[in-house]
Amino acid sequence: MENNQSTYEKHKFNRRDIFYIAVALSVIALFLILPPPSGLSREGWLMTGILVMAIILWITTPIPIAITGLLIMVMQPALGVETAADVFHSFGNSAVFFLIGIFILAAAIEKHGLHRRMALKFLGIFENSPRMFTLGIMISSASLSFIMPAHGVAALLLPIVASILIAMKIMPRQSNFGKVSMLAIAYGCSIGSLGTPIGGARNPLTIGILAQEGIRISFFEWMKYSMPVVVIALPLVWLILQFSFPPEVDDISKARREIENQVSSMGKMGRNEIAVSAIIALTVVLWIFFSSPEYFGLAVIALLGGALLFFTGSISWEDVEKRVPWGIILLYGGAITLGVGMNDTGAGSWIANLVLDVAGSNVYLVMLVLIAFTILLTNVMSNVGAVATILPIGLGVASGISGISPLLASMTVALSGGLAFMLVISTPGNAITYSSGYFSTKDLLKAGGIANIACIGIVLLVAMVYWKNMLGM
Amino acid sequence: MTNEKIEIRRSELGKSMFENILLPVSSEFYPGKALERSAFLAEIFGSRITMLYIIEEKTLDNTDKISDAFRSYYEREETKSDIRREYLSTAEKVIFENAKQFFEEKNIFPDEKISKGEFSDVIRNELDNEQYNLIITGYERGCLLHYRIIDSSRVPIWVESGAGNSTILAVCSNLAPNQKVPRVSIELAHSLGWKLHMLYVVDMQDSVEVDKRGNRSGTKSERELTDAGEEFLKEMEGAGVDTRLVTGSLERETVRAAREINAGLVVVGREQKKNGLLGLPVKSIKKKLAEKCEYSILFIN
Repeated sequence: MENNQSTYEKHKFNRRDIFYIAVALSVIALFLILPPPSGLSREGWLMTGILVMAIILWITTPIPIAITGLLIMVMQPALGVETAADVFHSFGNSAVFFLIGIFILAAAIEKHGLHRRMALKFLGIFENSPRMFTLGIMISSASLSFIMPAHGVAALLLPIVASILIAMKIMPRQSNFGKVSMLAIAYGCSIGSLGTPIGGARNPLTIGILAQEGIRISFFEWMKYSMPVVVIALPLVWLILQFSFPPEVDDISKARREIENQVSSMGKMGRNEIAVSAIIALTVVLWIFFSSPEYFGLAVIALLGGALLFFTGSISWEDVEKRVPWGIILLYGGAITLGVGMNDTGAGSWIANLVLDVAGSNVYLVMLVLIAFTILLTNVMSNVGAVATILPIGLGVASGISGISPLLASMTVALSGGLAFMLVISTPGNAITYSSGYFSTKDLLKAGGIANIACIGIVLLVAMVYWKNMLGM
Repeated sequence: MTNEKIEIRRSELGKSMFENILLPVSSEFYPGKALERSAFLAEIFGSRITMLYIIEEKTLDNTDKISDAFRSYYEREETKSDIRREYLSTAEKVIFENAKQFFEEKNIFPDEKISKGEFSDVIRNELDNEQYNLIITGYERGCLLHYRIIDSSRVPIWVESGAGNSTILAVCSNLAPNQKVPRVSIELAHSLGWKLHMLYVVDMQDSVEVDKRGNRSGTKSERELTDAGEEFLKEMEGAGVDTRLVTGSLERETVRAAREINAGLVVVGREQKKNGLLGLPVKSIKKKLAEKCEYSILFIN
């Protein structure tokens, strides 16, 4: 194969990048020069400027999104909004260690191919018909995203499903079955990532910001709140995919053979795989029963699981270095300090009041605006960034309107923040599956647009009926 | 023109124009219609087809950039390697196999190549190393390709859409030298046995005249440009071509005329439009045409 050097150079700033960096910094300068509006402190005003800067940088990505996280942490003490001690205090939240623990556990799963075995087992159950096969892909993606970060699941399932499609001689971009199969991975991962605090970094971020407000959520409580959304959204989005791209394939026998081949090539479970399975199972059980505030919390159990993996020899420090994305920790740090800073300075409440002035005091309308705006934002920027941006506003809304509690607003934002279906840039899961070449950006926009509208309805329904009326949130 | 003369013309064209056809297939987009068109032309002109599968590194880089905070460098490299393997497997087991079956039915045996890089860069590199007379591709809006090659290639590019009937619309204007387009269109119409229409657009958004060498004049009045256009069309009418002169935006009038005659092919030359609506610069008239025109276009630079 010939190798041509691409003109695309990742590490060099181009004119577009420099333009957006200049715009973002100009925004800060503008907020420094202009006086704050009535009802907002100077700190709150500058914090709003940092928020706008972060939104611009997260949407246009002239610098890595983790570096924007760093910039948020630097800007606050530099502009006199918060002291350095306060900024780093919120960064030291236990959710950071929960994230590190999750990634160590995920590293062990990935190292020993446990996720691959599980995915193939799941797919094997749904190999009766082409439609059921795509449902199997969605369920596999979602289920694996309960126990490891969704991006890793997308990266795992892509080669598995691609090899099945290749065995079936499915032509990229031409086949609806190919489109649905790949979109099922992307959407399955996104929906599954809502289910537990592990699926996406925005979940620990929400837990972290709520903890700063004195509200603590255990693993089980999170699942209790989120699972109805997952259970309704998964089949509904699958149906949307079936209607958007009716599969043209009848014969699934080649897929069945390919799955059988892959399962047999994996052989029996090895000692390490068994050890990792046992530790993961133990960790999940501990999370479910002992992660509430009166026991250990999420982070301690995650780190315990990580430590056990070392003791059993299932993972080495080299594996951790290879597989823990430290960028997410920086991104998380920036996001949580942004959220806490917005709350502390009153900027969140001030923006929330602006929203309430437009949307009025109708709880349903306010919730609808909150969900729709979060989904819109999460489609054009990192979903951690979107949740960090909207969550303080949601908390401000909760304090400004009766009938919406901080927990209700936070869960609404956190779950809506995971529903990024429409664009390639929306989430790594979309980008990874897009790179397979089986669907176009137009296909993603078409199916994702409908799925997002449906999910606005689902989150609103669950929030108002289940969370508010049944759980009394 | 007698059949004998057409046959002679065909063999001349086969050697001079379409002897070697490059058929680039990006991992971003499979141009099924381009395959059919290349087979159609190869049957007529006895062309050699080279199918070049391009693994789009740009897509991988884009994925890498979006994932950089969420996945470690090692994991991203692992994914990239998985995707590259999948592309190779798709190329060998699906794309080439499918194309082989299609071409073999027509007794055509294309060469196969795989390369990785950015679509336009890879094609440019291939053109530097091999002699091609025509590039046939498709145009997909819903992907990350920029099709810069349409602007920069010296080799004619046929963007196939699959629409239209056996009619060629040759587009000339005050913004192009109008040398190659009439010649190529007439030859092509004869060779393919298609009907030829000639459209001359007086584009007042950029009211200059481009001479035979490609030099732009100073600003001219509509009357002057129309007179020049009418004079040009008289020559074409002498060659037995249906002609029409219109005033308006080059892109819009081309799309409209193609739609009116349901053109199987629109032939466009080296247009040099500098100003668009309200005097704003026009980025790439060719890309704009490829995006807006639902018919096949042959770009001759």
